[in-house]
Amino acid sequence: MSTSLPDGSPAGFSRRRLLAGAAGLALLAAGCTAGDGGGAAAQTSAQDDRLAAQLPVQEAVVAAYDAAVAADPALGGEVAPLAEQARTQLERLRAAAPGAAASSSGSSSSGSSSSGASSSGASAPAPPAGGDVRGWLREQVAAAAAGHAAACVEATGARAALLGAVAAGLRGHEAALA
Amino acid sequence: MADDGTAAGGEDAALREALAAEHAAVWGYGVVGAALPPDARGPAVDGELAHRDLRDGLAALLEERDADPVPAEAGYELPFPVLSDVDAAALGAALEEGVSASWVALLGAAEQPAVRQLAVDALGAAEARAVGWRRAAGRTPVTAALPGLPDS
Repeated sequence: MSTSLPDGSPAGFSRRRLLAGAAGLALLAAGCTAGDGGGAAAQTSAQDDRLAAQLPVQEAVVAAYDAAVAADPALGGEVAPLAEQARTQLERLRAAAPGAAASSSGSSSSGSSSSGASSSGASAPAPPAGGDVRGWLREQVAAAAAGHAAACVEATGARAALLGAVAAGLRGHEAALA
Repeated sequence: MADDGTAAGGEDAALREALAAEHAAVWGYGVVGAALPPDARGPAVDGELAHRDLRDGLAALLEERDADPVPAEAGYELPFPVLSDVDAAALGAALEEGVSASWVALLGAAEQPAVRQLAVDALGAAEARAVGWRRAAGRTPVTAALPGLPDS
């Protein structure tokens, strides 16, 4: 691991650790480790499959944001940045599972149900007519977060880091929608 | 971005970094709470308790492994002056973002599923708290797409 800090002396730094510096060090560590964890080709292939299995889950999140805004346009202003972040998450997952991108990147308006974001239904997202659209959206997001987190635990290396970050991002969305 | 190559060594090192970040968060939450009026300290108290639990859990795990848990630093410096409740909320967000980076690093280095479970749970809880602090600090957006993940 390349532990040399870009500036300053590590010794002085660690004696009097800056709070902001702690985050910087951690970022550095993440940069060092994000690329490993691959190892055997067979393992990598299984890992790619596990990551690819989360693509429909994330496509369903993107679709759920669209469906929620369509059902309740008043939500639009508030959830627009969240919807954009959900698309960013999807792009990052697709980029990390290149083989799967083409085959599973169908219309984002009809999430595939092939993967389990758990029972509350990643499939054909549609808020209950006249119901609590916000609450429904929160449930979709929470279910997807749980699915990504479970996949994270089964993954390793950079894939685990990405899946965990996406899961946490959606936990934040869930909190914001509470 | 060198490949670390070591197995348990990388995991233990990342666990120690997470512990160091949790020590800092526990200390920082004392500052957050002190800067808030008493009737607004609830989230700071909750956050401090959560980070104490994580700190103690990480220290116990490293102890079990004879892997030299790092102690708290003798002193910390604030990343910016904390003079108002908005500053306090900004510090709360910074603390959660700091630990999030170390949890993501641990996810990248972890060898054991149980360690990844610990890390992903802690990461999600940190981001949920961060949302509350960003909102209180008036930051937008209040959420992050990929908490703790380095750019690039």
